[in-house]
Amino acid sequence: MPESKLKSRIQLPWNSLGLVAVLIVLIIFFGTMSEYFFSAVTFRTLVNQIPALTVIAVGMTFVLLIAGIDLSVGSVMALCAAVMGILVIDHQAPIAVALIGALLMGLACGTANGFVSAKWRIPSFVVTLGMLEIARGGAYLVTNSETKYLGDSVGFIGSPIAGLGVSAALIAAILVVIIAQWVLSKTLFGRYMIAIGTNEEAVRLSGVNPLFWKVLVFALAGLLAGLGGIFQLSYLQSADPNSGIGLELAAIAAVVIGGTSLSGGRGSVVNSFLGVLIIAVMQAGLAQLGVSEPSKRIITGMVIIAAVLFDQFREPLGRFFQRK
Amino acid sequence: MLRIRYNRNLIFGLLLTAVLSACGSEKEAEDESSTPKSQPVRVALIMKSLANEYFINMMEGAKAHQLENAEKYELIVNGTKNESDLAQQVSLVEQMMAAQVDILVLAPVNSKGMLPVVKRAIDQGIVVVNIDNRFDQDLLQQMGMSVPFVGPADRAGAKLVGQEVAKYLKAGDEVAIIGGLPGAYNAQQRQAGFEDAMAESGLNIISIQSADWESAKSATVAAAMLSEKPNLKALLCSNDSMALGAVAAVRQAGRTGDVLVVGFDNLSAANDLVQSGELLATIDQHGDELAVYGIEYALQILHSGIIPENIITPVDLIVAK
Amino acid sequence: MLLRIKKLNKSFVVPVLKNLDFELHEGEVHALLGSNGAGKSTLCNIISGIHTADSGSFEYCGLPYTPNSLQAAEALGICMVMQELNLFPTLSVAENLYFRSMSDRFGIVQHQAIQRRAKKALQTVGLNYIDPAQPLSQLGVGQQQLVEIASVLQRPIRLLILDEPTSALTGPQIDLLFEQIIQLKKQGIGVIYISHRMDEISRIADRVSILRDGELVATKAVADISTDRMVQLMAGDESTSIDMKESIDQSHLPNNSILLKVENLTRRTKNQSGGDSGFENISFNLNAGEVLGIGGLIGSGRTELLRAIFGADQAHKGCIRLASDGFKTRRIMKSPADAISHGIGMLVEDRKSQGLLLSHSVSKNISFAILDSLNKKLGVVDQSAEQDLAESMSKKLSIQCDSMQQPISLLSGGNQQKALLARWLAIDFSILLLDEPSRGVDARAKNQIQALIRELAAMGKAILIVSSETQELLKVSDRIAVMSNGRLAGIFKTTELSEEKLLEASFCFYSSEDNQSKLANARI
Repeated sequence: MPESKLKSRIQLPWNSLGLVAVLIVLIIFFGTMSEYFFSAVTFRTLVNQIPALTVIAVGMTFVLLIAGIDLSVGSVMALCAAVMGILVIDHQAPIAVALIGALLMGLACGTANGFVSAKWRIPSFVVTLGMLEIARGGAYLVTNSETKYLGDSVGFIGSPIAGLGVSAALIAAILVVIIAQWVLSKTLFGRYMIAIGTNEEAVRLSGVNPLFWKVLVFALAGLLAGLGGIFQLSYLQSADPNSGIGLELAAIAAVVIGGTSLSGGRGSVVNSFLGVLIIAVMQAGLAQLGVSEPSKRIITGMVIIAAVLFDQFREPLGRFFQRK
Repeated sequence: MLRIRYNRNLIFGLLLTAVLSACGSEKEAEDESSTPKSQPVRVALIMKSLANEYFINMMEGAKAHQLENAEKYELIVNGTKNESDLAQQVSLVEQMMAAQVDILVLAPVNSKGMLPVVKRAIDQGIVVVNIDNRFDQDLLQQMGMSVPFVGPADRAGAKLVGQEVAKYLKAGDEVAIIGGLPGAYNAQQRQAGFEDAMAESGLNIISIQSADWESAKSATVAAAMLSEKPNLKALLCSNDSMALGAVAAVRQAGRTGDVLVVGFDNLSAANDLVQSGELLATIDQHGDELAVYGIEYALQILHSGIIPENIITPVDLIVAK
Repeated sequence: MLLRIKKLNKSFVVPVLKNLDFELHEGEVHALLGSNGAGKSTLCNIISGIHTADSGSFEYCGLPYTPNSLQAAEALGICMVMQELNLFPTLSVAENLYFRSMSDRFGIVQHQAIQRRAKKALQTVGLNYIDPAQPLSQLGVGQQQLVEIASVLQRPIRLLILDEPTSALTGPQIDLLFEQIIQLKKQGIGVIYISHRMDEISRIADRVSILRDGELVATKAVADISTDRMVQLMAGDESTSIDMKESIDQSHLPNNSILLKVENLTRRTKNQSGGDSGFENISFNLNAGEVLGIGGLIGSGRTELLRAIFGADQAHKGCIRLASDGFKTRRIMKSPADAISHGIGMLVEDRKSQGLLLSHSVSKNISFAILDSLNKKLGVVDQSAEQDLAESMSKKLSIQCDSMQQPISLLSGGNQQKALLARWLAIDFSILLLDEPSRGVDARAKNQIQALIRELAAMGKAILIVSSETQELLKVSDRIAVMSNGRLAGIFKTTELSEEKLLEASFCFYSSEDNQSKLANARI
């Protein structure tokens, strides 16, 4: 059976293919409904909007893998962007310093999340809910609740590169996806994450200290939220303390559409990225159709549930399609 | 096998439902724009939260206008999830750019943050008209752009409603302001209008706090003010949603009639409260006409190529009949 | 005839049951015997309506019977007590017993009424000292199993399926269960009894059906077949039954080659009902090349002792000393990682909740404890080395699976247990702690595991083994330390110990005057 051999070499699990199929169906659907949707401009616009959500969804995938949850990513992203904005505008810091400042801020928030929840065994839901408020408050505090306009000084990250059409942020985000998937499937860290999500006690009794790895996962999620903040900042060219409200839910939705289990132990970074794309295509398509906000939300909600249902039955469906 | 087929049907069913509801909306839009397809002008109206009645009115007004002028232009309406989602509004503008609209009428969520994307839209040749919430003028200048603004006289309106409050109070009485989202131009304007009126009549502003345009937050803020400041005589709210929250807090504290509340926007619920006396006054800024003004204005610019002055639309004070 | 099944076929991907015939009389205890994967559980699941058969004819009480759901089967009086507990730990004992009938028609829980009924129900399984209002989680595993049995006995039953009911029970608890089964027999109820314990089958069953690879090998009256013959039929070849007694040769034991000294080790915790659990002042030495068994009743502190030595829970007082530094340092292991770095490994009692990584493949489960040494660069796991390790281990332990990449959740209990053992064998350990290594494992795998334990000892490793099966302890241990009520009753040479003596020692610290309640507790 050369065909099956080929399949195993590509190593694309069939549910990735399923997500790609969903994506294609959506694109065809919107393409036929709107005469302007099916164009290079639309897709370029669309993909340049997603770097922030992509890297945050990567962090969220890791957190969900260890059976945690991080509700603070949206706020942490806003705080990191705010810190960067302040450093550039009010302190005239060089961009490199401001970038590092934003990343460190994210890392600090994430580490705090991880340490408090892992060390004292407090559900991460509660700890990150607290961090959601703290970081949002911090964002208002450092910006004085004002939007800081940075202009072109940071725009180079989020603006399309001439001749290429895509932004540096997008390229960086895709690199993050690739590296994260590699970490997940090839390294010790990835193995430990899945194991912790499956059976933390078994991990401890095998002589591996779950505390360190759990803190690391949350720290990474924070760091990636900081990176998302940088992408968002350069995309908007301004630091808005109100940015990223509800972003945690968008990230969780993307990750769940990608088939990552909320109870831990199963997930894929590439699939989360496909989930981000599905959400982005839907938003872009619905906006171009001028669908009303209530219908938009109803449709988005149904697609999330449909995707999870789809995932629930992916094994019987997989058998069905393979038999074909 | 039976089981599998059932599952497939279920999923297809769900997808179909999604498709159908999208089609429904699409058809609606097409019906409204059944024009001869000789490249009609395409107008995008992008507003803030379509969960707010004020913007719903604005949208209804614009749609009605488009029906009357179906031969002139097509209309695509979009709004954000909430009143502060900058990223979503930016992406909506970008989608409209990709959809190659000719005119963009925009009620920005953020008076600074929307400017970079607006600049790109203008560069692409789209006529942009700013409605409702005005762009930050300094930044606009700094970026070397000029975007015509069609909006209500926020400051004058706020002053008007402030003066109505002053009629019932004497100099030196304590009042407080519940403001909109910090950083929003109209929030600043309305606050300034309140302050103008208070200064004029010698009233004492003892507290200014923000409730982000939201009713529930306003109720919390107002409740705290009421218990902390027993001599408070009036709460000046920068929109009606927040005024509704403040009225609820006053009612809870049992000080209805003792503490005056005013709002801005003339939402139907606020209007009811004005008629019943729980809300002293509000301002009708004719939101339903605002988008229409913006669209007509933009069409005018598109056809004539001349960028005229800003238009300040009239506002009316609403008090009990 | 209560139940008659003819030409039953069932396959999940591969055939699991092939043309199976089965009969059960009224008032009969019919034992099912077979190694894991032979099809016993599938057969029971079909009878009780969980799975549906592909083909075959069913007759129940003389009428055609097509079981299509658990509920439908229960309505006809067919009940199954499963191997895995199906209970709610945070609910009270009474609520667990009457889970489906605890409320009135308005949905309000009738606490008083169900507790009164629960009291009686608990008496039937000898748990009369248990307060029905206490949360189930405060009970031991054995007691919980009895609660589950009690809950089934409350229903109107005509056919009862017991899937390894005794795996967590102590001797006296088993006696009580068997009394109940005899009562059921008198009422004409048919019982299908699955167990790996041959002695129980000879004791309680009337007939035995032996399954191998989904086929019925033989159905015989228990009186007509010896246990050795049963094992032979189950295994399919004549030579698997190893007489361990012969293979224990203590002459190889080097003198004075102590590896581990345990001194006055103590860990006492109050459980929620106010009783003590844990152990105190345990001292012993463990020699290289020795298997030291730990006997005693469930709840006597055996598992807790092992966990404290391994650092899974920290000891409160006392210490352990290791040969590696000439016994100089007083140690208390702070974490399993600590213990592993000192060459101590532990196979835990409950493999599902504490050992297995069910989402991982067989090879990833085997390599898990030594992953950091399979690290190439940048934390990348050397997957070919991992594969080699897994394959050599599975060959050594004869783990049966399709491939090393197969999810471990698809393996039988015995093979899962072997994979976990392999995880520890991959580590360079000198001391291995085994807690119930052969629980829920078929007779063949059990023999293999026991042989392996002796083999490890012969290689000079020191092994500490806890088992509830006296037979097993006597079979594999050189010495047996008996614990009783958290204390050490004595350490005996296996050659000088009989089952009776072991039992006597197990009870010795429960019988003091002021401890009457504990006596009751322990006896049952």
